[in-house]
Amino acid sequence: MLKRILLGGLALVLVGAGIYWYIATDTFSDTKDRKPAFTVEVIDFIREFQQNDSLANLKYREKIITVNGMVSDLESPDTATVNVKMTDTTSGNFAIFAFQDQHVEEAKSLKIGDKVSIKGSCSGGSLDGILEVIKIDFKRSALNK
Amino acid sequence: MKKTILFLSFVTLTGSLFAQKKTTTSATVNFDASTAIDALPKAENKTVTAAVDTKGGTVAFEATVKNFAFSNPMIQDHFNGDKWLNSDAFPKFTFKGKIADLSKVNFAKDGSYTVQVTGDLTIKDVTKPVSTEATIVVTGGTLSTTAAFSIKLADYGITGVPIDAGKVAKEPKITVSAELK
Repeated sequence: MLKRILLGGLALVLVGAGIYWYIATDTFSDTKDRKPAFTVEVIDFIREFQQNDSLANLKYREKIITVNGMVSDLESPDTATVNVKMTDTTSGNFAIFAFQDQHVEEAKSLKIGDKVSIKGSCSGGSLDGILEVIKIDFKRSALNK
Repeated sequence: MKKTILFLSFVTLTGSLFAQKKTTTSATVNFDASTAIDALPKAENKTVTAAVDTKGGTVAFEATVKNFAFSNPMIQDHFNGDKWLNSDAFPKFTFKGKIADLSKVNFAKDGSYTVQVTGDLTIKDVTKPVSTEATIVVTGGTLSTTAAFSIKLADYGITGVPIDAGKVAKEPKITVSAELK
């Protein structure tokens, strides 16, 4: 009987340790391999936030989105970072994409004016208090093609 | 002729005033709440807006909470959850302050300057004063700035078992770096 209890206890500890190990070592998958919830043209996308950012955030926030558009700026404050911007030139509102570590090199190949398709995790958008334009943030982005 | 001079003066003045405000949309904020027993609670947000007014010495940054990228999905969920940052209700961190000893910096001359920045950090609608040393490197009109400070999570109403158990630092380190043009 005691042997059974000990074995049962050991099994529970092992299962618990396995679950903890799985959760603790889990990482985000490569965005390139993720299926997007939406595929949008950047100007239409930005204007959805301009018209009603609450609705747009409900629709897009924390989802993988593919955004098609033109590179308006590239910002590289350090060697490990390249952020790509797509801007609605009529309003100044923009989307900005921070790249997943393994895809930073792809972003380095881009030039202003390039037509691109970028897939990333949308963190939402709202009026930026410093620049006073709408800014839509993306993290863990990758070139879609 | 007078009109031309007036116009050129206006253009020069406008350009000069505009140049006083240096901005970026790619500042980085690192959030490090890791401890000796848990290395996971740390993240980076690379799309932070920042500005420095070289004339008045005001400094500001604004970070979208949901754009902090953690390596671990569960920790990122906790960070954004109701008990922690509640990023659905409070989507941004903001800092507004100024360079206390602005006269130490010559923005027209390349060099490295150490300054004191004081201001207010707002997280979850709670505003607390922050004072920290910052480095400003001036290179051809571009400012490369870095600053690091700690915050007390309890000051912002953030408490919980993982903090009490030592899996999350009670006073995470915040590091801000920006290249402003």
